[in-house]
Amino acid sequence: MADFEASLLEIIKEHAVGLTGELTRDTQIADLGIDSFSVVEIIYEVEEKLGVEVPFNANENPFGDMASVGDLIDALNKLIKK
Amino acid sequence: MTRNVVVTGLGVVAPNGASIQDFWSGLTSGKSAILKREYSAADKYSLTVPVAPVDGVEDRIKGLGVQLMRADRFSQLAVMAAEEAIEQSGLEFGEALGARTACIIGTGIGGQITFDEGYVNMLCRERRPHPLTILKVIPNAPASQLSIRHGLRGPAFAVSSACATGAHAIGVCSDLIKSGAADVGLAGASEAILCYGALESWRAMHILADETCRPFSKNRNGLVIGEGAGVLVLEEESHAKARGADILCRIAGFGMNADGKDMINPAVEGASGAMSLALEKMKIDDRSRVYVNAHGTGTLLNDPTETKAIRSVFGADADKLAVSSTKSMHGHLLGAAGGVECIASILALKNGVVPPTANYDEPDPECDLNYTPNNAEERDISVALSNSFAFGGLNAVIAFEKV
Repeated sequence: MADFEASLLEIIKEHAVGLTGELTRDTQIADLGIDSFSVVEIIYEVEEKLGVEVPFNANENPFGDMASVGDLIDALNKLIKK
Repeated sequence: MTRNVVVTGLGVVAPNGASIQDFWSGLTSGKSAILKREYSAADKYSLTVPVAPVDGVEDRIKGLGVQLMRADRFSQLAVMAAEEAIEQSGLEFGEALGARTACIIGTGIGGQITFDEGYVNMLCRERRPHPLTILKVIPNAPASQLSIRHGLRGPAFAVSSACATGAHAIGVCSDLIKSGAADVGLAGASEAILCYGALESWRAMHILADETCRPFSKNRNGLVIGEGAGVLVLEEESHAKARGADILCRIAGFGMNADGKDMINPAVEGASGAMSLALEKMKIDDRSRVYVNAHGTGTLLNDPTETKAIRSVFGADADKLAVSSTKSMHGHLLGAAGGVECIASILALKNGVVPPTANYDEPDPECDLNYTPNNAEERDISVALSNSFAFGGLNAVIAFEKV
């Protein structure tokens, strides 16, 4: 589980072009410099690299109300069918 | 009241210069940016052909921001060109101007590099297509990116007519401003298809040059594919004057028609008809002051057909004209050709210098105009004509005049 979370953080980090410091669960999504494109890309890479499926509809963005990276990781964990 | 359209900004990313300044010094130097390069796919297939690539712009692409870094190359080149044009115009698109600004950016093909990579990944590496593939390849991607970037909310769409795309985009945008649908417009085109699959398809057509592009020269044997983008800022004349803009030239005419005959072979009547339409409302006293930036692809058929068309339009005065094909230096930018060549035409008009036809080795009795061979020529130009004649017989010609 910890490894899985580390992998998720690594993928998010690759897309976080606005990030200046460390990436942790407490980092605010607003500070990552990501947009609607990035979310779709992050999910694609999670599926490709971690061999899981994330049922996700780009028109019903389930990530709209999240504030922190921790929220994003929890939401991904909930969606993922391992 | 008649609405006239003027040009107040130019931006270019071309193989022989990735800014207006570099492009102009490239054009007047007579140096060709054509070289041979190998393109491969999946470590399995490859070909080596002459091409005209845009090199050394990676840092500028990164500087465009995250949204553009993940766009296809044809969008990136379009936005680079547009940024230069907007900067020169001095325009800032606030709420009111944004609503009155059109954005007509064409492409001959669209995001072919993304498509190619997608297929190689799917079929050779068993990877799924990238989720942004569609948003990257759609031909309207550059128009949409620019609209979002600058809040342009007037008419916005892509034009596509193969090698006449850029000229059609500029002509249509000019007509939109004339009609009152917009006061300002970004107009031009972009193309970036230098990848294995695309070049193999062009080679299959048996129309690529074996060494370089030699327009109007007897030893010409085909075209050379290039990449790049050319974007103009067009503006209703009184709008430009009211804000004290530096007006580069006026769009004096736009002629478009179709041959209605053949997908490959061009027709003299179509080309001459489009030129005549562009010149229809103009009174030109001294035809030695006219520059024709020819379509001049360097293929066996285009060049004599275009020569005959120019002769039929200008009659005995055709020998007075300055003609050249700058494709000899920047290659054939396909959809972007009209955009980049309109800019070459405007720069010739403004600077009083005709860029040459490079690689001109040997006169051809069937191509008997003054093609400004190999060396630029100083000439006080009053009218510049940019010819674009597409595969499929679609023709577009723009005439620019000094203000």
